[in-house]
Order: sequence, then C-alpha cells, then structure tokens
Amino acid sequence: MVGVAYDCLLNPQGAVRSTFQNAICKASDPAAFDGKDWGVIDLFKQFLYDDGGLSQVPVLNPSSIARLKSNTLVRFRGMIQDMLGNELYVGMYKDGETWRTNKFGDFFQLPMATGSSPDMRVWERRLLYCVPVPGQNSWIEYSSESLLNPSSISSSPPREKRHRDDDTAMDDIDMQVTNEEVHASTSNKKMREDGIASNSSNLGDTPTADIGSATSVLPYFDRTSLPCLVKIYDSPESDLKLNDVFEFIGVLTFDPEFSVDKNVDNDFVGYLGDDDTQTQMPPTKVPRLHCLIHKKLSNQDFISGSPTIELKSHLVKEMRETLLRHLTTILGNDGVAANLMLLHLLSKVHARVDSTAVGKLSLNLTCFNKETLSVYGHRLNLALKNLLPFTHCVPLTVDYLNKIPLAPKKNYQTNRLASGILQLAEGTHLTIDETQLQEGRLNPIGLENARVLQSLLEQQKVEYDFTYYKMDMPADIQLLVLSEGKSNILPADLVLPFRPLSVEAAQDVEIEVLQSWRWYLATMRSLSHSITQEMQKVVEDDLVAARQADRSLGSLDFSRFLTMGRLVSLSFGETTLTLEHWQMAKELERLRKERL
Amino acid sequence: MNDLDFNRDKDLAKDFLSNFADSNGEAKYMNILQDVANRKTKAIEIELEDLADYKDLDEEFLRRIAENTKRYITILASAIDELMPEPTEALPDDDHDILMTQRSEEVTENTDGSDPKQKMPPEIKRFYEVYVKASSKGRPFTIREVKASYIGQLVRISGIVTRCSDVKPLMQVAVYTCEECGFEIYQEVTARVFMPLFECPSKRCTVNKAKGNLILQLRASKFLKFQEAKIQELAEHVPKGHIPRSMTVHFRGELTRKVSPGDVVELSGIFLPMPYTGFRAMRAGLIADTYLEAMSVSYFKKKYEDYELRGDEEEQIARLAEDGDIYNKLSRSLAPEIFGHEDIKKALLLLLVGAPHRQLKDGMKIRGDLHICLMGDPGVAKSQLLKHIINVAPRGVYTTGKGSSGVGLTAAVQKDPVTNEMVLEGGALVLADMGICAIDEFDKMDDSDRTAIHEVMEQQTVSIAKAGITTSLNARTAVLAAANPAWGRYDMRRTPAENINLPPALLSRFDLLWLILDRADMDSDLEMARHVVYVHQNKESPALGFTPLEPSVLRAYISAARRLSPSVPKELEEYIAGAYSSIRQEEAKSNTPHSYTTVRTLLSILRISSALARLRFSEKVAQSDVDEALRLMQMSKFSLYSDDRQRSGLDAISDIYSILRDEAARMNRLELSYAQALNWISRKGYSEAQLKECLEEYAALNVWQIHPDSFNIRFIDA
Repeated sequence: MVGVAYDCLLNPQGAVRSTFQNAICKASDPAAFDGKDWGVIDLFKQFLYDDGGLSQVPVLNPSSIARLKSNTLVRFRGMIQDMLGNELYVGMYKDGETWRTNKFGDFFQLPMATGSSPDMRVWERRLLYCVPVPGQNSWIEYSSESLLNPSSISSSPPREKRHRDDDTAMDDIDMQVTNEEVHASTSNKKMREDGIASNSSNLGDTPTADIGSATSVLPYFDRTSLPCLVKIYDSPESDLKLNDVFEFIGVLTFDPEFSVDKNVDNDFVGYLGDDDTQTQMPPTKVPRLHCLIHKKLSNQDFISGSPTIELKSHLVKEMRETLLRHLTTILGNDGVAANLMLLHLLSKVHARVDSTAVGKLSLNLTCFNKETLSVYGHRLNLALKNLLPFTHCVPLTVDYLNKIPLAPKKNYQTNRLASGILQLAEGTHLTIDETQLQEGRLNPIGLENARVLQSLLEQQKVEYDFTYYKMDMPADIQLLVLSEGKSNILPADLVLPFRPLSVEAAQDVEIEVLQSWRWYLATMRSLSHSITQEMQKVVEDDLVAARQADRSLGSLDFSRFLTMGRLVSLSFGETTLTLEHWQMAKELERLRKERL
Repeated sequence: MNDLDFNRDKDLAKDFLSNFADSNGEAKYMNILQDVANRKTKAIEIELEDLADYKDLDEEFLRRIAENTKRYITILASAIDELMPEPTEALPDDDHDILMTQRSEEVTENTDGSDPKQKMPPEIKRFYEVYVKASSKGRPFTIREVKASYIGQLVRISGIVTRCSDVKPLMQVAVYTCEECGFEIYQEVTARVFMPLFECPSKRCTVNKAKGNLILQLRASKFLKFQEAKIQELAEHVPKGHIPRSMTVHFRGELTRKVSPGDVVELSGIFLPMPYTGFRAMRAGLIADTYLEAMSVSYFKKKYEDYELRGDEEEQIARLAEDGDIYNKLSRSLAPEIFGHEDIKKALLLLLVGAPHRQLKDGMKIRGDLHICLMGDPGVAKSQLLKHIINVAPRGVYTTGKGSSGVGLTAAVQKDPVTNEMVLEGGALVLADMGICAIDEFDKMDDSDRTAIHEVMEQQTVSIAKAGITTSLNARTAVLAAANPAWGRYDMRRTPAENINLPPALLSRFDLLWLILDRADMDSDLEMARHVVYVHQNKESPALGFTPLEPSVLRAYISAARRLSPSVPKELEEYIAGAYSSIRQEEAKSNTPHSYTTVRTLLSILRISSALARLRFSEKVAQSDVDEALRLMQMSKFSLYSDDRQRSGLDAISDIYSILRDEAARMNRLELSYAQALNWISRKGYSEAQLKECLEEYAALNVWQIHPDSFNIRFIDA
C-alpha cells in the first residue's frame, strides 16, 4: 500500500513520512509513538531483503561519498569506535492540525519554535561514531555494482539560504565536487577553525598540535578512511557494543558545502570548551547516517562469494591439506610450526568463564634472528594478509612502547574516546614482532603498555583508560608473537622454537584457492564443538596422567590442551572431539615439547 | 486556569513551610527562614522526603513538584517571600540593602510603576536560594537511565565528576538605567545568554519617542555564582561492551565549588534541555543538549563507619542474621570462584570484620585489626584471594612488597617539585588507614619497609624521622600478606621455619598464618581436570551448589557487624586462660617447637573470638566463639605442620581417643557429653566424622559406652 508511493532508495524520508501519516490516522494517542516503530522498519526490510533492493543500495566510502546525495539510502560497514551518548530531537510536532515526524532526518522543518509545548514530542536517538574496521585488508571489497549513477544535475531548485527544504531538494552542485576538492576545502576551513574541529583526515593541518592529537580519533590508520556518525533509533542498547562490526543501512545526510560560522558559535559554547558533536565533527567532514536497519557482521560476512560451499567433509579435508601445505612452504618446511599456525588461525574466544577466556590460542614463534625474520617474517605477514580479513602488525621497540598508549583512553577535553592500537574488532589478527626490542628503560607509558599487552595475551581483555577508573573491554584477537627467545613480556599460550629447513620460493596462489581458504578459516572458526561423555573420561584421565608426570602443569595448560583438541577437530570440519584428533593434539604437544 | 492552580499550590507550599514539624517537633523550615532573615545562611533546601512525611500531604502536589521542578521552585520562592520573617538580629546595612531601600522608595514615588519592565522582579530582592532535594529512598539513577521522558523532572543520579569549570558570575537580573528618563529597567535572565536591551521601554520614553539609551549597571545587577561540570557513569554501572556516558551539570549559587574532578557523588537535580540558541538552533533543528541543574550534592562514603544502610539492606541483613549458618554462608561468598579453602576464607571474613579497638585507661592501645599471612606455592590463587578481599572492603589498598613508588609501603619525605618544600607522602599502609592493606610478595619486601611494618602491625602508626621531620602517622590497618616460600616452591625436605623465611618477630604479629600447598594427589588433579573439561564443554563454571551473596550485601552485613564491640564475660576468662596455658604446655613438651606462643597469641584468640561474636550480632563473646577461634588457630598450624603429625605415628582415631581420655582425666569425670567432645577435638583440628569413627571403634573395644540417642560418652572404669 505504501511501498510504491515513494522511492525507498532516493527518498527514504518520504517513505518514512508517508507511513507515519498512515499510522497517525489510525492512532488516537500521539504518545503511543514514543520510542516505537510504526512500520518503517518492516517496509524497508521488505524492500531490502524480500524485493532484492539491498544490492541497489550504494555503499558509503571515501570514493563514493562525492557522488552520493544527501537524504538517500546508503549502507556503511564499520566498527563502533566510540559512543557519544544520546541526542534529543523533536520527534513529532503539530503543524497546524496534522502531526508530522522528524524521525530519520536531521533538520527540523519548522522555523524556530521555542520552548516545549504539548504539540511537540521529544524523542531520543543514540549516536555512534563508526570507523572502517582497523586493519582491514585490501581484498575486502564491496560488491561494486550497487553504486548508482549520480542523477541529473540541471533541474534542481535554487538553494534556499540555510533552509533545508523538504527531502529531495539537495544541492546537486555540491555533489559535483570531487573528493579531492572536498578535502582541500575542508582543510582550508580547518585553518580558520583553529584546529578545534578535526577528524581522521588531514590531521597535519591542525595548527595547535595538542588539540589536534587529542581530537584525532584514529591517527594510526589509513587517513583516507571515512568515519561516519550513525544515529540509532529505538533498538535496545545491548544490541550494539563497542568494537562490534556492523552494516548500517539508513538515510545519509552529508553536507560538504555547509560552513559553520565559528565566530558566532563560539560565544555560545559552554565554559568547558568544545565538546559537542556539532563543532567537533561538523557535518562537512563526518557524514551522518540515520540508521534504519543494522546487522552485525562476522568475519564470514566479509568473504565475498562462495557462501554456497557445503560442509562436505572431503572438501574441507582437501582445503585443510592444501592450506597446511601452503603454510608449511611459507614457514620453510617446518611442519610443526605450520600445524600450530593453522590451529592458531582457527582460534577464537568462544566463552568467558570467570577471568579466563576459553578458546584463545596465542602463538609465540621463537628463534627468529635478523636473517630469518627478513625472509619468513615478511612472507608470513603477506600470507596472513591474504588469508584473514583484518590483520595488524606491531613492531615492538622500547621507543614504540614509550611513546603512545596502546590502549584507548578517554579524552575529557573533547569528551571522546581516543583510540589506541589495541582497539580492534573481534577476530582481528595481531602480529607482534619482538625481535626488534632492544635493551632500554621503560617510562610509565611503556610500563603501562607492557601491562596492557600482557593482559591481552593472558585474558583477552584490554583495559580502557578513563582516568578515574579503568574498564576492561573483552577482546577476541589472535596474537602471534615473533621473538628471539621465549618472550617473557608477552606470555603466549604456545611457545615454539621455529626451525625452518629450506627456503623455497612461495608459489603464487590462484585467487579461487585463496578465496576457498578464506572461507575455510572463517567458517571452521565459527563452528560449534562438543565433547562426548566417553571422550570426556579419556581426556580427564589423560590430563591427570600428564599432571602426575609433570607437576608444573596447571589448569591453564589443561585448558590449552582442550583448546588444541577442539581446534584440531574443527580444522577437519568436525564438531565433536574424536579420539584420533585428541591423539593428534597430544602428538603436536609432544613434538612441541621436544623442541623446547 | 493555570494561574489559579499555581496560586492554590502556592498556598499549599506556604502551609507546608510554616507548619511542617520534624521529628523533634521543631518547625524546621521556619527556623531556616529565620536564619536566612538573619543572613546566616543563604540556601533553603526543601526535602521532598519531608513533604512526603507531611501530615496534610497532597500526593498530587508532591508529584507536580517532582515533575515540574523548575516551575515549582519559583512558586516555592514566592511562598517563601511571603513567609519571610523579620530579622531578629541587628544587621549592618551593606550596599545591597541601601540599593534596595532606595529602589523601594523610588517605586512608591513613581506613578509610572505599571510598566512591567520597570517593576522590580522578585529575584532581585531575594538574598536566598531555593533548592529542592529529591527523596533519598530507592536507588539513584545511572546517567544511562535518564531518558527524554524525564525532562523537567527531579532526578537523582550517581556518577563521578570528570571535569569542572571555574566558577564564574552568571547574570540573573540585568539592571539598566535610561539616559533619557533615568528609570531603572530590569531584565530577568533565565538562560545562559541573553540579548541586552538597547532602547528604553518605559512609558515616558515610548510616548516621547525618545529612544532612550540604556546603560547596563553591573553594580546594581544581580549575579549568581555559576559552575559547569561533567559527570560520568561509574564503572560498575556501565553495561558490558559499552562506554560510560557523561552528562553536563550546572551548579549555581551555594552549590558551586562543592565538587572536584574524581569525586564520586550523588546529585539530585532537574534534568533540563538546553536548546541551541540563535544561529545554531537553525542548523541543529531544535535538537537540544541536556544538562542537570544541580539541587543537592552528596558524596559516596568509603568507610565502614560512614556506611549508610539503605532501606532494603537493613531487612536483608536482619534476615541473614536470623539464619544460623551465616558464618559459613558469608565465608563461602568470598571469592566463590576459588575452589575450596573454606577455613582460609573464614579467616579472611574475620579479617574483614575485625575486633574492636581497645584503649586502656593508661593510654595503651590494643589493636583490633587481625593480620593474616597466606604463604604458598605459586599459582594457588593467593593473589586472587587478596584482590577479592580488597574489592569487598570499602577501603582497601593492594600493593606488592616491592612497592610501586618511591614512597613504598610506609611513608616518605619528598621534595615538592614546585615549592621545594619538604612534604610527607603516605605510602600504602597509611592510605589504608581504617581499612585493609593487602601486600602481595611480602617476602620480597625491602628491608627498610619490613622493619617499619613491625611498628605498623602492633602500634598501628608509622613513625618518620627524615629530613628534619619527625612525626608519626596513623596506620590503623589490617594487614593481609601473601608470600612465597623461601625457594619459590615449598621444599618438603626442609623445616617449615626454613621455608617460611620471615623473622619470628614479624611472624608473631600475624594472628593467623596459612600455608597453601600445591600437593601432588590424584583427587585434586582429577578435580581440576574435570573443572577444565566442564568449562570447555559448557562454557560456564560448574554450579557452586549455593548462590553466593553479592559483595554489596557482604559489605553491608560486615559494616553492620562492625558497629558492635563485644566484651568477654567473666565466666569465659577462666576458659580462655586454660586454653592458652594448655597451648603453652604443649609447646613446651614438644622438642621442636614450631610456634611461638606468646601473649600475642592470647590477644589473637580474643580478637578472633570477638570478631566471631560481631558476626553473630552479639554483645558478648560466647564459648563457641572461643572454640572456633582456637580451631582456626589450630588449623592454621596444621596447614604448616600436618606432615609432622603423621610422622609422630599417631593416627587420627587414636589421637582423638587420647584427647578425650586426657580431658576426662583432667576434669576427673567418667562422662563426657557429645558436644563437649566435639569441642575438644575440633580445637585440635579434627572433623566430626572422625570423632564418630573413633567413638564407634572404641565402643566396639568396650573402652566406653555410647548413649544411643545423645551420643554421650561414658568411660568404662577398668
């Protein structure tokens, strides 16, 4: 009944309003609309999923932003980096005799009505600051067919001064501005604004360095990345958590042309200085997205294509074989290392009990020196980059540790969470290269960083610094440590001296094979797993026997054995532990012990 | 119609203010008003709780105040204006008064007074501020819970202050004089910013079309102190995976300069929107920032003594106290995720409760804090126990023996980098005054700190004689220490004394010393294997078999228990003395004394017993308390010397028999009650099951007879 009246893609707000009008006619009490959906979500769900509209929705990214029009439907994939709290807005108001809504839009359409009246209902929405997932590898692309042709240029009404007219009237002239020009103009503007506003792009322009570094949110990652301020309506708070990766589909409002007149504004800013979103993240630089539908993404969702491969055991086995061979080649024919590496890549925190993270398996490859590192370290990194959606590499030096806090820290000047390198999405792979670490003195920051890294390895938790207290944020990061000797700063679960036998040139891998490996790693990782009663008995007896033989084994080692057993059977695509796989895990552990 | 309503409410307010009597029958608010009239105080705090208790309560009126507080403050203020009594003391006229008298004279002179802009706004005459304080019943909101629907309402919020601005003047009433007509023009300012008047609006000027120039009179205008602050959610209120929210708070008048960053506060205030003004409003589309206009500030209390019980907690404690098994229940709730160690947890519970401090007539102080030392192999969850205890205690400091700063554990004299003056800086022990100080890695402590700790543990002060400063600081703290044995792991081939590696002078200061060993036995290994497998299989810890009490309940119960100071009744003195002397004799008998039983031991027994009595909410120490204290001390010794006992050749059963026989012989009786027997043997660290076994075995040998119902023992006289 409604769906046809408006184009959900180009005029989503029109669709919102028309459903609203329909709903308000039927409802008697306007208060019934508070914090409720009146059928908008269903409409869009139908449009996107049932009618196949999803592929037509353009993706918001740095290259497409110049072409996208404000007030159209877009989608955005990103990690929730900061939560800015709630924003109140006039959700419903009476225009003469009819109620109108403002939901899913930025601008109030009535000229200045002051004070609150019974004819106005204030609603709230949550603001999430989202950034592209840190460490995202270049092979992740969106299906690009969805980018729509920028529509006609000529026939737009002249721009009204500072009055946003109804939905479609967006200045098409702005749309013509290319990306470069946007950047140029914004950086010019920034000079005027005296560094108060800043985002992750064009950092260097900020004249006052301290404020600049304070406001920059993700200074260590790609500067061309596009952050987005997502406004969430109605959905429960527990749905969206910090560091989760989401796909948001909603109404874009972005206005690269509009300039904030700083001189006027500054007089009204609070005594505590600038800390509201308007000044810090002007709509000129950070697009707004009024979220209609959001969906949590896992690593699997980033593997394009081939979700159709069935879980056939022989196929999985084959993939395992080829991948293992590939890893063995990369690791210079060190079979044990390749096996453990495979388990490591499949590991995932699947439960948290008390203070232990169950399922983590960090790996520490020792015996690296300058030569081996230059050969294998580089190859390994490249291979990981090709296999996993999100990877990151940290060279650990005393200088590096002493310089910047690794953990995110709340900046009370700007009221923002300043990201650290350890603010990573779930399932990110982190390689820490300890070989470059020299003797030296750690300052308090370095000490704190070492502690943070340690707690990440031991408990998969990162302590976020809120100055007055610290908060533990659970993380799920695969950690690989490369070091000369056993790393004492970074106590990994598995320590293995690396023994390459021969250097073989790594052969090129076909893209299809790579795809299947990516799929294999992402899928096997997410399988569930259980242990049968009989196996439990066997495992328990084995563990007790192991402890009787070696008193130094503790509950953590037990936990590691079980994790290895689990991962071995997952690597075969099996969801229950069999005796064979348990034996394999034990054998691997024995081989590892031999090397120590 | 609205006006009528407000007039009626004003009468209600007047009635309440003039007639409300507090629990002492005093007219609370009229007294405050008198103080205000006498210029002794400026703030009038109206508590909603009083209004709720008022005899002629109008529920609707109360609700209206809570939901439209800002409006009702003006109503209350105008009610107060009418009620304001004459000052009873002579007051010196200050500038303000002189100005006011002049003004009121002018008003009577002028017939032009009908002009609203020329009428004096009531604010300028007031020299007091009205605050409405929310009822303190129920839990305060977290910042997250304050939603759009609370706008305009009075809310109570807890949070931590993160930023504070300077205190600045805020114009409340702007006063202008007109160049043409000379009138004073008043402009009330309600927002943070205002558009000044430029043209004189008085009748004379408008009629004459004179467009009189207005000049702002800063001296005549009324200003308020104003401070802006940010509060942030407390860590415990933030849901998992979220970031703490923050909120802007405005403090006005007397409430300014009450908070500083880092304070944990509970605020009551009005949740208000702050519409963007001017140009911004156009851009932002009337999206409003919100803030809290503070009405009252109170701090969270950190000490047991200041702990205020909330309504439901009192009930809960009463219910718990009736439960006979409270001792076990509380101790099990300490670190429930750590398996076993029941007796150690009991000891730690007693450490939290403590015994009352005593000060003798001659000025000698006897400490009430219990000191406990946990010693054991690495990886037996010592540190976890320590950290958990610190979390439960309202005031606790966790530190390691190596000391985290130059200040160390005790105190240091440092040079202030700015002023170059010598300043005293307290260490962990001083910071933990009236609380608990947990010291991990006690064995790795610096020698200088270790000597200082002797004093702390007995005299409970820290004396300093450095850089010309001699002083002594209070350190009334209970020390909970954890240490590793001398060679990292406990070496069975060496004596306990060698393993412990702490000087006897220090050891004797600990009331209880526990050794936690990681013994190689199948059962515990299997237990551990099962636990790990279970965790992996079910993604949760195995059920504990009971629901542990919340730390907040524990804290409330302990703080309630700490209010008592139990005494030892006369009839028990003999009993305790006897127990003490028997321990001394035992020690003298054995050829290798393990323990140093001194007068300190006797004090320890008394301390532990009175802590137990506190737990029972009893003012008197009972015999059962003393027995439990002796049992704990014995158990702590057995944790050290259990191997010796086995070597001595006596098995448990025959040992129990000899204990009972000796006791019977000592009392010169042939009959022993079961309860008595249980008392004796539990003091030596045996269990009830072992006693039963012993009774059966020896009854079969016809050594004694057991009463079939009461299990009383009767020796058969040979």
